[in-house]
Amino acid sequence: MSTEAIAAEKPKRNYNALFGLTLLALLVLLWVILSVATPSFASTNNISNLLRQGSMIAILAVGQTFVIITGGIDLSVGAVVGFATVIAAMLINAGVPVILAILITLLVGVAIGLFHGFGIVKMGLPPFIITLATLTSLRGIGLLMTNGNSISINNDAFQLFSRSSFLGIPNLFWMVILVGIPAYVFLHHSRWGRYLFSVGSNAEASRLSGVNVQRTIYMAYTLSGLCAAFVGVLLASRIGIGNPTQAEGWELQAIASSVIGGTSLFGAVGSVHGPLLGAFILATINNGANLLNVNAFWQRIITGVLIIVIVYFDGLRRRGK
Amino acid sequence: MTSTAQELHPAPTLEPGRTILELKGLEKQYPGTHALKPVSLAFKSGEIHAIVGENGAGKSTLIKLLTGVMPRTSGDVIWEGKPAALATPHEAMALGINAVHQEVVLCRHLTVAANMFLGEEDSRFGILQQRAMVREAQKIIDDLGFDLPAHVVLGDLTIGQQQLIAAARATVRGTKFLIFDEPTAYLTRKEADQLFTLIRRLKGEGVTIIYISHRMEEVFELADRVSVLRDGTLVGTRNIAETNDAELVKMMINRSIEQVYHKEHFTPGATLLEARNLSGKGFENVSMTARAGEIVGLYGLIGAGRSEFVTTLYGRHRKSAGQILWEGKEVQINSEHDAIRLGMALAPESRRDQGLCLNLPVGLNLNLPIYKRISSNLLISSAQEKTEADRQIANLRIKTPTRNALASSLSGGNQQKIVIGKWLAHGARLFIFDEPTVGVDVGTKAEIYRLFGELLSKGAGIILISSYLPEVYELADTLHVFRRGKLVATHGFHTADHEEILTQALAEKQEKLGGQI
Repeated sequence: MSTEAIAAEKPKRNYNALFGLTLLALLVLLWVILSVATPSFASTNNISNLLRQGSMIAILAVGQTFVIITGGIDLSVGAVVGFATVIAAMLINAGVPVILAILITLLVGVAIGLFHGFGIVKMGLPPFIITLATLTSLRGIGLLMTNGNSISINNDAFQLFSRSSFLGIPNLFWMVILVGIPAYVFLHHSRWGRYLFSVGSNAEASRLSGVNVQRTIYMAYTLSGLCAAFVGVLLASRIGIGNPTQAEGWELQAIASSVIGGTSLFGAVGSVHGPLLGAFILATINNGANLLNVNAFWQRIITGVLIIVIVYFDGLRRRGK
Repeated sequence: MTSTAQELHPAPTLEPGRTILELKGLEKQYPGTHALKPVSLAFKSGEIHAIVGENGAGKSTLIKLLTGVMPRTSGDVIWEGKPAALATPHEAMALGINAVHQEVVLCRHLTVAANMFLGEEDSRFGILQQRAMVREAQKIIDDLGFDLPAHVVLGDLTIGQQQLIAAARATVRGTKFLIFDEPTAYLTRKEADQLFTLIRRLKGEGVTIIYISHRMEEVFELADRVSVLRDGTLVGTRNIAETNDAELVKMMINRSIEQVYHKEHFTPGATLLEARNLSGKGFENVSMTARAGEIVGLYGLIGAGRSEFVTTLYGRHRKSAGQILWEGKEVQINSEHDAIRLGMALAPESRRDQGLCLNLPVGLNLNLPIYKRISSNLLISSAQEKTEADRQIANLRIKTPTRNALASSLSGGNQQKIVIGKWLAHGARLFIFDEPTVGVDVGTKAEIYRLFGELLSKGAGIILISSYLPEVYELADTLHVFRRGKLVATHGFHTADHEEILTQALAEKQEKLGGQI
């Protein structure tokens, strides 16, 4: 039995790896084409820029993926990013030490995530509704707090961070690695990661098997809120202002990245590397389209078409298996 | 579609005894599996043809080919003398081939009438003739002798009642060939009788009935002929008068089954669980004990309160009165988590809805209750994860290519083994099995019963819920009978006969089906 099991195990692993490799190949292919088509694409400057552009959506997409695996959705992440820039900016301008300001901002993200968990678990609201409510109200709270103005952050060291590089790689991209590796271990090698999948597949069966379903849901939304607040800190550092209307529509980009990366909106299917690759594929398309002077409106259309094509082929292959 | 409800009456009587459908070397191959080896078989109009076989024997594949859900790999299908492609469900339905599935596949949120006419609604100038449809549906239902209202939402009916509606629906579509796939799995005896009346009536009208069931007594009660499938091969077809239970079982599993209900008696040990005057939603004032080494059977009709009682023991629902004692001490069980920590395990009634994460691997399903044990500081030991899964797969003889196969790809019996098997490694001491053999074949049943014996010999206790009397009767050391939320009688092993127990479970026979809504 065991030899048989080991022998037959490979196809599935290969499938997951294959999908990842296909995405990676697509990304490389895009890079090769763009390097040939435009002189400026392969420049160090542009690549750094691209990595910076993709990094923030990538981190959002990882948090989003946790939620989607449980069968939920987090529409609030873009608003949380904007709100977090305001919190970070206010704290830093008020003279709070940067590290402490960052920690508090992250805690705000955690609190928002816990609130989502509360709404879903205790109030019985659908994830779509509770996070949609947060999406609109957080923007409002942020605007109230700032009177609709942007807050310029007067701390050069804070802003320098996101503009600097380490070992030739932009710091923002290092942040993707900082989030990605623990996220991978968490999702694929920890008990709670397994519970995310089992709750997404069948919450009732998980409950009867002794899984704490409520805690699992709290955890997913808390992690998503945390990732979003972290991205808010990075965005504040990058742009140097706190403004609650920033990151408009980023929740959709995060969901798109996740879905392109093979996450199933029905739950119980997803990975960490998938959404990361998805985010950088989207960033590459936007970046390349800019360089090629493609009308910005077209970029949106291309993104839409890409989502349909990739998810369609992924679905075909899953069914065909 | 201009068809009106009037046209949807049962098809005109067909000439009986004529061959209506002939299969010539019908075959289905999937990559890697030969699901159905060439089958040649002729069905006559007006016959009830039972098809029996273990889970995974190819029955579902045959149905899917006949109803056009899947294309065949090779072979010919002759329908009323002409070759038929049967490439789409629509084509099958147009010919008059219909199926009633084990699980009801109707729209739970629509009314009974809307479901009856789904896809063939009666409308004038684009406006639905709702009242006319309800009237028409009610007429059909009354005509069939089902005491059910047509205007209520389908989801408000019991599963058994929904199944009757599904059957009624199939009869109004000019059906000449009707397949029933385990229709009685969730039916009470009374509902099953109503269904059998319907089936016999259709037969009288010349409709060909394919009847698939694991319940031998139903096959002998209903069928004219019976065909046996084993491992995708048609083993043989018999006239029902010329065969018997033993022969069919032998054909199905290719080994003589000395004893499906293999019962070992152990001396009961210490009391594990005691319920004292327990009340809750759906049951009241129930007292019972479960000891190590014994099987406590809970018998009653579906809806008699047995499931509600055990899920309350298991912390899924709150009790409203009474006490629960575990090993002599009173305990508060507020969640499944509490119950599991004490040492209880529940294999729930519906494996699809409550038992399994279908789109996740077999291994993950088996390990779900024990991840805490096989991980340290949250990180899972992947070596232990693999060994535990493989051990259970081997121990339970779960037929799966690997532990990474998705649970949904397994047959019903093997899925059921996962639902039970995941608790074995957990080391639970009181196992609650809620209808563990619904829709499971004889061979798997025997294996599940063997497992019961193993658990008992290791000092565990079992609470067994079943609506299938022979099962609890042959296995339970103590048998409690439930009726309408109350524990109405208690028997020892074989201290009462079937008839007495049945009477206690049914009692008020005049109780109307519609009254339960």
